[in-house]
Amino acid sequence: MARYLKLYLQFLKFSFSRSLEYRMDFWFRIVMDCVFYAVELAFFTILYQHTDLLGGWNYDQILIFVSGYLVIDAIHMTVFSNNMWWMPIYVNKGDLDYYIVRPVSSLFFLSLRDFAANSFLNLIIAGGILTWSLMRYPGELGLDNLIWFLFLLLNGSLLHYIMQMYFQIPVFWIHTNRGLVNAFFSTTKLMERPDRIYSDWTRRFLMTIFPTLLVIALPAHVLFDGPDPLVISLILGVTAVAFLGMRSFWNLALRHYSSASS
Amino acid sequence: MIRVRNLRKVFRVHRKKPGLTASMKSLFRREWIEKVAVAGADFEVNEGEIVGLIGANGAGKTTLVKMLSGIIHPSSGEATVLGYVPWRRQDNFRRQVALIMGQKASMWWDLPGADCFDLLREIYQIPPKQYRESLERLTTMLGIQDELNIQIRRLSLGERMKMELVAALLHSPRVVYLDEPTIGLDLTAQRAVRDFLLEYRRETAPAMLLTSHYMEDIERLCKRIIIIREGEIVYDGSLKRVMQEYAPYKNLQVHLRRGSDPDRQVLEKMGKISRCDPGNICLQVSREKVPEVAAEILRLFPVIDLSIGDPEISDTIERIMAGRSGDSE
Repeated sequence: MARYLKLYLQFLKFSFSRSLEYRMDFWFRIVMDCVFYAVELAFFTILYQHTDLLGGWNYDQILIFVSGYLVIDAIHMTVFSNNMWWMPIYVNKGDLDYYIVRPVSSLFFLSLRDFAANSFLNLIIAGGILTWSLMRYPGELGLDNLIWFLFLLLNGSLLHYIMQMYFQIPVFWIHTNRGLVNAFFSTTKLMERPDRIYSDWTRRFLMTIFPTLLVIALPAHVLFDGPDPLVISLILGVTAVAFLGMRSFWNLALRHYSSASS
Repeated sequence: MIRVRNLRKVFRVHRKKPGLTASMKSLFRREWIEKVAVAGADFEVNEGEIVGLIGANGAGKTTLVKMLSGIIHPSSGEATVLGYVPWRRQDNFRRQVALIMGQKASMWWDLPGADCFDLLREIYQIPPKQYRESLERLTTMLGIQDELNIQIRRLSLGERMKMELVAALLHSPRVVYLDEPTIGLDLTAQRAVRDFLLEYRRETAPAMLLTSHYMEDIERLCKRIIIIREGEIVYDGSLKRVMQEYAPYKNLQVHLRRGSDPDRQVLEKMGKISRCDPGNICLQVSREKVPEVAAEILRLFPVIDLSIGDPEISDTIERIMAGRSGDSE
């Protein structure tokens, strides 16, 4: 574990020095992401001008929910996004070869090697928006609730990555997974809405088979309604099963890896 | 160190006819063919040995190297490297092997070599003292101490390959796979890489498996070669022996006194004429007839000089790869 942490620190060091090389891209990504945050917040602000409740949540609650989602998106963009983009290219061009021969988990390497340092500032901005939305919340939020919420938020980021990997890994067989990845991003839009707007069966599906509601909606419930052991067990249990399944899927994919001709 | 038994790799490949109609059809129905990349390889490589793996493009060399480095799984057969099954990819195995591919870069393009080596130190968990000594020794041998802090993308191809060699050997591997390490390099850089590999082997004696299209790499580095043709090993033995077994003729070069015009009809009975003009003859003569033909030439023609030599190794190997081993043309 300590070894992987050291390696990750190296990745961070490299990624920062590399990102700062390309100044224009550095600033451009920050502006782009800020526009995205503004649009997301404006969408719900306008919506709440026509209604007081949406899926049982008022405007103050939805602001925290959306801010939480923005943090998850920022973590994804900063930690995983670049790596997810490169993965199919590595598989198809045979560049994965060098990751397989190194004595380190290829899954770790390929998922985390490229830290998008130019999105890091966005992570701070999204964190700031979340802090602001929590501070302006008129009701009482217990410390327990808050700690569990923040922990489950991080878990949500991990789950989001795991879910995307299920759509990435088939590239080992089908060689182009653009359609699948687009499908992933379209379907994960479902997590950007309050869970109670869905019917019972859809909710069950989105909490187990395609657990997108566990990413932020259920952690938000833990924040507002208190840490329900059943909800927390469901979130952590599904994440653990999804992670183990993803690791087996990855190992199976490596068995089928054919590399590329030289 | 490397032990291979009946190792096979078969790829399933989609065969597509050209044109839009065929592309549309392939959306619904595909024709798959099986392509045998390696058809039952058997060999062993010992400590300190550099074995040249030779074959035409698509013969199966790289596939074999990729199976032995654990990148791809074989379809059947067995292999152990340092006692490990490569495709199980145990960390202890991966810590002791290195792979260098001339056509693929392993280093981070935007970073200087020094940073990349630092990351490799973490990956291979090289103790700091050993790392410093190893880096110093390798960079001195390759003469790239001054380039360590320059971004990889700003280096010449030759310098990049030298960096790749350092990156691959930093952890002092006991088995090294070299897949066309000199490809695309100019003659000076090729020579530098070869000299380095020889010196490295002298110092550390790893087992090395080398694929190359440059015969000079093979001649300079390998005493033993394995020739692979369409996935099958057709020769495994010393480089010297390949000449005796597969070059059944010798070249006779004859210089005649000025103005002498040799009789072609007489020469044709002796062997295959490669050159015949006034004053010069070059003949390919089967090995067993060499003494007799040489004596005959000396008797019949006014000879100033006569030399007998083997054909070029590259020609001989090319003939084996093309499946024309036995013919004496």
